Amino acid sequence: MNWTWFHKLGSPKWFYELTSKWLPWLIGAMVIFLAVGVVWALLYIPPDYQQSYTTRILVIHVAVAGTSLAFFPLMAVAGTITLVWRMKLADMVAKNAAPLGAWFSFITLATGSLWGSVMWGTWWEWSDARLVSMLFQFFLLVGVVALRSALEDNDTAARACALLSIVGCINVVIIKYSVEWWNVLHQPSSPLSMSGESANGPEFWVPTVVMIVAVYLFFAVSLILATRNEILQRERKAAWVQELVSKA
Amino acid sequence: MSQAASPSTGHAFLATLKRDLVIAYKRKNDMLNPFMFFLIVATLFPIGITPDPERLGEISAGVLWISALLASLLAMDNLYRSDYEDGSLEQLLLCPYPLYYLVLAKNLAHWLVSGLPVVLVSPLIAYMLNLPQEAYLTLFLTLLMGTPVLSLLGSIGVALTVGLGSRGLILAVITLPMSVPVLIAGTLAVQQTLNGAPLLAYLAIMGAMLLTALTLAPLASAAALRISVN
Amino acid sequence: MSEAITDKYDHKHNDRIMLTAAELFCERDDRVLFANLNLQLQEGQVLQIKGSNGSGKTTLLRILCGINDSYEGDILWYGNPRDKQAEQFLGSLLYIGHRVGVNKVLTPLENLRWSASLQRDVSDAELMTALSRVGLRGFEYSQCFSLSAGQQQRVSLARLLVTGARLWVLDEPFTTLDVSGVALLESMLADHANSGGAVLVTTHHTLSVPDLRILNLDANREERL
Repeated sequence: MNWTWFHKLGSPKWFYELTSKWLPWLIGAMVIFLAVGVVWALLYIPPDYQQSYTTRILVIHVAVAGTSLAFFPLMAVAGTITLVWRMKLADMVAKNAAPLGAWFSFITLATGSLWGSVMWGTWWEWSDARLVSMLFQFFLLVGVVALRSALEDNDTAARACALLSIVGCINVVIIKYSVEWWNVLHQPSSPLSMSGESANGPEFWVPTVVMIVAVYLFFAVSLILATRNEILQRERKAAWVQELVSKA
Repeated sequence: MSQAASPSTGHAFLATLKRDLVIAYKRKNDMLNPFMFFLIVATLFPIGITPDPERLGEISAGVLWISALLASLLAMDNLYRSDYEDGSLEQLLLCPYPLYYLVLAKNLAHWLVSGLPVVLVSPLIAYMLNLPQEAYLTLFLTLLMGTPVLSLLGSIGVALTVGLGSRGLILAVITLPMSVPVLIAGTLAVQQTLNGAPLLAYLAIMGAMLLTALTLAPLASAAALRISVN
Repeated sequence: MSEAITDKYDHKHNDRIMLTAAELFCERDDRVLFANLNLQLQEGQVLQIKGSNGSGKTTLLRILCGINDSYEGDILWYGNPRDKQAEQFLGSLLYIGHRVGVNKVLTPLENLRWSASLQRDVSDAELMTALSRVGLRGFEYSQCFSLSAGQQQRVSLARLLVTGARLWVLDEPFTTLDVSGVALLESMLADHANSGGAVLVTTHHTLSVPDLRILNLDANREERL
C-alpha cells in the first residue's frame, strides 16, 4: 500500500493549500444548506398534531446533537495519530475540535431544554437519558479544554490531551449506556421521549436531513478555519508562511 | 509485557507496594484526612437535607457513594506528586520491568490506605443514615469493588496533571465525569436489591467494571506518566 | 588489568561501543537546542558534557535515557536501536537526575532498598555496605528530611554501588557534595570505568578522572583531552 498520501496529510503546508482551494466551495455549500435548512425548518414545517410548532426547534436540535456526537471519535482518532505518528496536524485539528465540540454540546443542551420547556413544561428533565449523557459529554469536553489550557508546553499538552481524548471517547460510550440503564430502572413518571414518534413524515425528515448536512458543513468549515489559524501561528517561522504573510 | 510477572517483576511490584505503604504509614495525616473527610461529608447531608429517617434512608446509598467518590478524589492528589517532585518517578519510568505493574502497585497501595478504610466504615455511616438493613451487604460489596475503580480512573487524571504547578480543580473537572458509570452502578445496585433484584447481577456488572479498569487504566496511567515526565 | 583494557578501547573495537547517538536534533519552543549532534560512548569511558546554562545538557541526558522522546535522530545500544531492546538497555542503565529520587519520609536504607529492587534483588547487608561506603554509616535509619542536601545526594550515589548498572548517567551529581564527597564520587567514576562501565556526566566541575572525554554543547563538537 502506498502511504505517501498519509505523510502528505501530515504536512501543514499541504493542508493549508488544499483547504484554500476547498474552502470557497465548502462555505458556499454551507451557506446554501444553512439558509434552506433554517428557513424551511423554522418557517415552513407544518405543525405536528402532537408537538405543534415545537418540531421546528427539534430539527435544529437533532442536527446539532448528531454532529456533536462526532467530536469524541474525531478527537480520539486524531489523538491516536498524535501519539503514534507524532503528526502535528492531527493535534492542531484536535486542539480546535475540543472547544468547538463543547459549544456544539452546549447548543444541543440549550435547544433541547428550549424544546423541553414547551413540550414537558420544564427546562430540564433528568428522565431524558440523552440530555443527561450529553451533559456529561459536555463536561468531559470542557475537561479536555481545561487540560489543554493548563499545560504550557505544546508537545506535552498535545499528547496529554490526545490520551485524555481517547480515554474520554471510551468513557462517553460507557456513560451513554449506563445513563440509559439508570434511566430505565428509575422508571420515569411519564413516558417522555424526544424522538417524536409522531413527527416522522417527509415534511419533517427532509428538512432535518438538509439541516444535518448544513450543520456538518458548518462544523467542517469552522474546524478548517480554526486549524488554518493554528497552522499560521505554529508555523510562523516557516518560509512559506512568511511568504504568504508578506504577500497579503 | 509478554513475560508477565517474571520473578523480578513481582519483586519490584512488592517492593513498590511496600514502599508506598511505609510512606503512608509515616505520613499518617495523609492517610487519615480523606477518611475524616468521608465521615464529615456523609454526616453533613442529614444536617443539610433532613433529619427525617424515612427520607434519609432513601438517599443514604447515594450520599455514601458521593462521599466516597469525593474522598477518593481528595486522596488522589498524593498519588504521584511527591514522586514527581523528588525524582522517584524517573526511576520508576527507567525501570526495566513493565510500568503497568508498578503503576498497579502504587494504585493498590493507595487504595489500601485511602479506599479500604472508607469501605470498612461505610456500614456504620449507613446505619446513621438509616439505610434499610437488607441493603447493607450490597452497599458494602459494591463499595468494595467500586472504590478501586475510582482509584484506577483517578490515577489517569493525576498522572496527566502531575506536572502542573498549581492544578487547582482541574483534576476534579477531568475525573469526576469519568466516575459517573461507577456511581450509577453502585447506587442502582442498592436501590434494585431493595426492590428484590438479585444481588449477583449487580456484582457481576461491578466486577466487569473492575476488571476492565484493572486491565486498561494502569496502561493509560503509565502512558500519561511518560507524557508528564517528558 | 585496567591498562590493558583501556589500551584496547583506543583501537576502535566496535563491539565495545555501548551507546551511540547519531544526528540528534532537538528543539524546544521553536528554539533549536542542538542539531546534528553525534556522540559515542565506549566501555570504560567517562564522557563529561559541558555547556552554558540552557544549552540542553539535561535534555540531552534525558533523551539518551529515554525519558524524553521529543527528538529526531538515532540512538543505538551496542549497535542496535535502543528502543528495540528497551529491557536490556534499561537493565544496564542508572540515571540520577537533578532531583535525586530520594523520598524524604523514608530512611536512606528504605530508599536504597526500593531503588535497588527496580533493577535487581539486593540483600540488606549489601545495601548497608553501600551506605557506609558513601559515608552514611549511622544515618541508615534516620528519615531523609533530617539529612542535609549533600547527604541526600549521597543516598542517591549509593545506588551506583548496588544496582550493578553498566551505564551511569549523572546530571550535576557534584552540586551539593563537599570535598570528601567529590573525591569519593570521582574515585567511584574511575573504578566504574576501569571495570568496563561507562559514565555520562554533566558538571561544571573540573573532573580529575583518567581518560576523560569532553563534549561541549556550546561548540557542539566532541574534543579529546
